[in-house]
Amino acid sequence: MKNTSLKKMIFIALLSTIGYLIMTIAFPLPLLPVFLTLDFSDIPALIGTVLFGPGSGIVIEAIKNLIHYIINGTPTVVPVGELANFVTGSILIVVFNLIFKKSRTTRSLTMGMLFGTILMTIIMTIANYYVIFPSYALFLGLSIDSAVAIAHSANHTIHNLFTLVILGVAPFNIIKGIILTIIMIPLYIRLKSYLKTYAIK
Amino acid sequence: MNNLIIGQYFPGDSYLHRLDPRSKLISVFILVCIIFIANSWTTYGMLFLFTCISVMASKLPLRFIYRGLKPIFFILLFTFIVNVLSMDGGKPLIDYGVIHITSGGLVFAIFITLRIMIIVMITTLLTLTTPPISFADGIEVLFSPLKKIKVPVHEFALMMSISLRFIPTLMEETDKIMKAQAARGSDLSTGPLRQRIKAIVPLLVPLFVSSFKRADDLAMAMESRGYRGDVGRTRLRELKWSSCDSIVLVLVTFLVMALILMRIWGI
Repeated sequence: MKNTSLKKMIFIALLSTIGYLIMTIAFPLPLLPVFLTLDFSDIPALIGTVLFGPGSGIVIEAIKNLIHYIINGTPTVVPVGELANFVTGSILIVVFNLIFKKSRTTRSLTMGMLFGTILMTIIMTIANYYVIFPSYALFLGLSIDSAVAIAHSANHTIHNLFTLVILGVAPFNIIKGIILTIIMIPLYIRLKSYLKTYAIK
Repeated sequence: MNNLIIGQYFPGDSYLHRLDPRSKLISVFILVCIIFIANSWTTYGMLFLFTCISVMASKLPLRFIYRGLKPIFFILLFTFIVNVLSMDGGKPLIDYGVIHITSGGLVFAIFITLRIMIIVMITTLLTLTTPPISFADGIEVLFSPLKKIKVPVHEFALMMSISLRFIPTLMEETDKIMKAQAARGSDLSTGPLRQRIKAIVPLLVPLFVSSFKRADDLAMAMESRGYRGDVGRTRLRELKWSSCDSIVLVLVTFLVMALILMRIWGI
């Protein structure tokens, strides 16, 4: 029992490292505000979920974001961006796992990713409107208008927080989910045999 | 990817480098919290002075601090302009069409900009003078009281240290894989988004497989060397609390008290 938990811990650690490395090469998308950077750093956490279950996936998300906070720092006092990333990833993982664990096939993986994306989009859109943008505004001393102004320069239909959230944040999460799905499917197919070797149940 | 120095840590032998990560973490945490108390020229001046003295005590080249501030320069400028234009109060200075600047707004904007600058300077200083691994050790010790309520602090810290330790290794690995795939004709930097996303998969597969192997090997190595968890574990790097650390904490406490008193007296 002890040995399996050590192995699990080390796997989680290395998957978090991969997540962090992917996180550092985040890039902004065209037509969306610059502060929404696309990174597919949830991939290692999803692989971790396939290997050891959702608990491990969430721990990977947490460590990845903590390392990013320690090494890269943040202009706000509380790591709002990291927290948002953690919550988004965790929602995706929980939903993904609920659907995936039943049959563990490529089909259920796709379905899990799609439902995960939908739920992630809905929750994050609401969270952005009520929590994330206001907290950025609080810690940076910025008004929400300025975030809207940055967004306006990327997409002219955005003119207040509501349109920012609907036209900026929601499509962002959908695109992120689709890209994650596009990467996850071939990755899972190719890693399948390895995942079976290393999985601890 | 050519730069294998992880994070911002800059090796050196200054007063700040020699401090225990625990005292540094506590001081930075307190300083970042009390910045919100400051609300006048004297209080902000004091905090700024304290930050500048810390920067000097770190003996770091100033360009490193500047490098920490550079990514947020745009945010700083933006915050300043937005606050100048939107805040009211005091005497009107310029009143020209939509541009409406008051002395109160200007002062407020300077304060907010200073606040962000001080926070970023302090946290940059922390990451510049503390190696990530001792950072993780410091966090483990500071959070160890949570062990009493069954939070797996040690396990978490172990995973953090392993993860931090493997950043350079996996970076090198990624670099190697990228070069190998580039030699086979894969192209990550140009082309439409869809092709670039597809080109990522051949990078990730070998990266995952090699990390699985590494993790498996490391687990076996640790087991065969008798790793058995938190209780009774000895360490290669022991954290040492010296008198310097106590002095720093006392100084920070004085600063906090001074700030609170000034706020009450309204200086």
